[in-house]
Amino acid sequence: MDRNPANSYIEFDRITKRFPGVTALDEVTFGIQAGTCHAVVGENGAGKSTLGRILTGIYGLEGGQIRIDGRPVQFLEPGDALDLGIGMVHQELVFCENLSVAENLYLGNLPARAGFVSDRKMEERARKLLSAIEVDMDVETPIGKLPVAQQQLVQIAAALGSGARVIVFDEPTSSLSHVEAERLRENIRHLKSKGVTSIYISHDLDEIFRLCDVVTVLRDGRHVATRPVAELDRPALINLMIGRTFEAYFPSHVDTEPGGEMLAVENLSSPGRFEDVSFSVRSGEVLALAGLVGAGRTEVLQAVFGLDPMATGGISVSGRPARIRHPIDAMRSGIGLVPEDRKRFGLVLSLRVDQNIGLPTLASRSDFGWIRGSREEDLAGEYVRRLSVRPGDVRYDTAGLSGGNQQKVVLAKWLAANCPILLIDEPTRGVDVGAKSEMHALIDQLAHEGTAIVLVSSELPEVLNLSTRILVLRAGRMAGELSRDDADQGAVMRMMAGV
Amino acid sequence: MLPMLRILLGSQQTGLILVILLLGAVLSVFAGYHVDRSTGELVNNFLNSRTLMQTATDASFFVIMAVGATMVIISGGIDLSVGSIYALSGVMTAMVLRSMAPEAPFAVVALAVVTCVSLGVLCGLLNGLMVVGLRVHPFIVTLGTMWVFRGVAFVASEAESILVPQPLTDAIKLSIGSDALYPMPMIIMLLITAAGAVYLSRTVMGRHIFAVGGNVEAGRYAGLRIDRILVGVYVISGLTAGIAALVGSSYYGSASCADATGYELYVIASAVVGGASLRGGRGSAVNAMLGAMLIVLIRQSIRTLHLDQNYEWVVIGCAIIVAVVLDQVNRRLTARRLAGADRAMTV
Repeated sequence: MDRNPANSYIEFDRITKRFPGVTALDEVTFGIQAGTCHAVVGENGAGKSTLGRILTGIYGLEGGQIRIDGRPVQFLEPGDALDLGIGMVHQELVFCENLSVAENLYLGNLPARAGFVSDRKMEERARKLLSAIEVDMDVETPIGKLPVAQQQLVQIAAALGSGARVIVFDEPTSSLSHVEAERLRENIRHLKSKGVTSIYISHDLDEIFRLCDVVTVLRDGRHVATRPVAELDRPALINLMIGRTFEAYFPSHVDTEPGGEMLAVENLSSPGRFEDVSFSVRSGEVLALAGLVGAGRTEVLQAVFGLDPMATGGISVSGRPARIRHPIDAMRSGIGLVPEDRKRFGLVLSLRVDQNIGLPTLASRSDFGWIRGSREEDLAGEYVRRLSVRPGDVRYDTAGLSGGNQQKVVLAKWLAANCPILLIDEPTRGVDVGAKSEMHALIDQLAHEGTAIVLVSSELPEVLNLSTRILVLRAGRMAGELSRDDADQGAVMRMMAGV
Repeated sequence: MLPMLRILLGSQQTGLILVILLLGAVLSVFAGYHVDRSTGELVNNFLNSRTLMQTATDASFFVIMAVGATMVIISGGIDLSVGSIYALSGVMTAMVLRSMAPEAPFAVVALAVVTCVSLGVLCGLLNGLMVVGLRVHPFIVTLGTMWVFRGVAFVASEAESILVPQPLTDAIKLSIGSDALYPMPMIIMLLITAAGAVYLSRTVMGRHIFAVGGNVEAGRYAGLRIDRILVGVYVISGLTAGIAALVGSSYYGSASCADATGYELYVIASAVVGGASLRGGRGSAVNAMLGAMLIVLIRQSIRTLHLDQNYEWVVIGCAIIVAVVLDQVNRRLTARRLAGADRAMTV
């Protein structure tokens, strides 16, 4: 494989990008061949998204040169990149949610006569554009009503429609279910067969092995390697990414005898969400709820935490029935919920780290409604140290933390609340490899210390590695339970899919 | 640059204070002088105790209301009805005092305080319950009550101005020294601002207001009683409007259903010039006070410099936009610096 950028379709030549106080990309040099699917990987902060944004003209350059087909190019604004045939599918979606698919596709170029939009013409063109990538959807639907996966297809269609020959995918599957992600990958393979070059930014390694031809590894803003995927295996790629040897993780709590029953859920139902879900967790156990997206895992946790007013059924804590109608009731029973989407449900980004950690217990730790500032900082400081949140300053703005560190702050909230029962939902979504294994170690340690944990995760290795038992949900119903010894990827997957 | 100095310059409080001092200095220079008749001394037209005190008094009514309204804004809501709550509590209190006619000066003041404050709280409670119970946007709810409260004030007072008893005016016009200076409104303003600042920064309720405004979902997941917190901020906003009405009608000696017309916009402007975000999650009582002072000072400067009074609104309108834009530019620069520092740390 050609590591020299010359002779490549896209050449990055000593690309340098600085942000105030930091060099995000430092003389990065590599080439991308036409018609390949080229992965760019690295831990969070390695500079991979920055590189994508430079190629699509969102960021300017401080040094170096991009050449396409041998010709140096310069982007002054995102439109310039698009003119040269480079489009982007973003991680966060960039549509006007209230407008229809067709309107979004042609927003910059509405077919109109004398200022009046021709809906018919617009929808016709939109349908044609979507059918080019073999997608069939109602172009009159407001785009906000579509699932994220479909919105991404619209982005691809939009990029191709404006003549893109290169599409940059920035973490496109991070918010998709397995099925949706596979469908997206199918689409990318299809694009490849049509000669479109894909640049795939991701930290999901499985995906890269399944999908990509060549992988470029960035670390701390520097180019580490560009190799054909076939030459690498998973540990080798991880080593390149983190620059240290990867050790597989074995939980320690599994060897300890679990204690008494902490949480028992009986015939929990919520109309339209899930039905007749029963399980129990003992102290020192990790019960994983596995299932496809939409199986009702998150919804079950929400109901146990008192966030679902429609839920019926019995919940008992330490053998005593508990009436949980509001998160406060759950907290009083010693239940904490580390929610799935940290930015939406887990954190108040406008508050500092210590203020976020203290939030659930602020009232109970106050003196007649007065906050003891030093007490709050001490408490937060203890957990910031224990979970090694970086930076370790409790007065730091939560908005400025990386995803992994934000996730630790959300966990710290509930550790600080001393909950003997923790419901943990997707604790490692969108965090980098290093933070992920730290999070795994933490969950294991908590269980080892006697916390009863219910874990929801879409990552099967995580489920298999961390759990004592696995409860599989399918379409809102219990599909079965597997012990750690019986469970392997195939068995869980078959149960999840119902085959 | 020294870090302390940079923090100081970067803080919005410093910026506001600097602008206020600068405007004050410019006014003093351009205001000109007049001869005091009693003493024969040359007196600056702006920089004299009477004008300064009058400016502070003018500001005090806005500031008292702005402290409560800022809390509503921090919670992510808005209260358009504060001017009407002012008018309604003022008018009703004057009517209660007229009909009950207590003799002792202390009884007059006590009855006025209790009536006016509870009316304000009641109006705020109504706002809060409707915002929470009807699930209607607070802009709509308080737009409605803005007219309803003022309408009730009109009906109750039959559109007449009602005198308040002399003991109330005496109480608020306690003067210091031999000069006829009345610092009470200013003192009350400073006390309320201090109380608001302490409430926001040091109490559980205050923190909960920031949390709800910053991310209501995260608040729910942290077990906060969102509805109670929201009702609470509208009650506080009603409370401060009631206090402002008490101070205002006592100071002017009468209450009328047309009092404080349009104050809600000055109050919101004060909060916003003071850096509050209409998206919620950000704001400060002290900065709202500074914002109100700046607006009042700009108004005063038109009088002092003998500019055409008709330009007042044009100038204030422009000043509000400029102030908020400058604040945002400053914020963006700070955010960029922070982001840089953050990347430096993660890399």
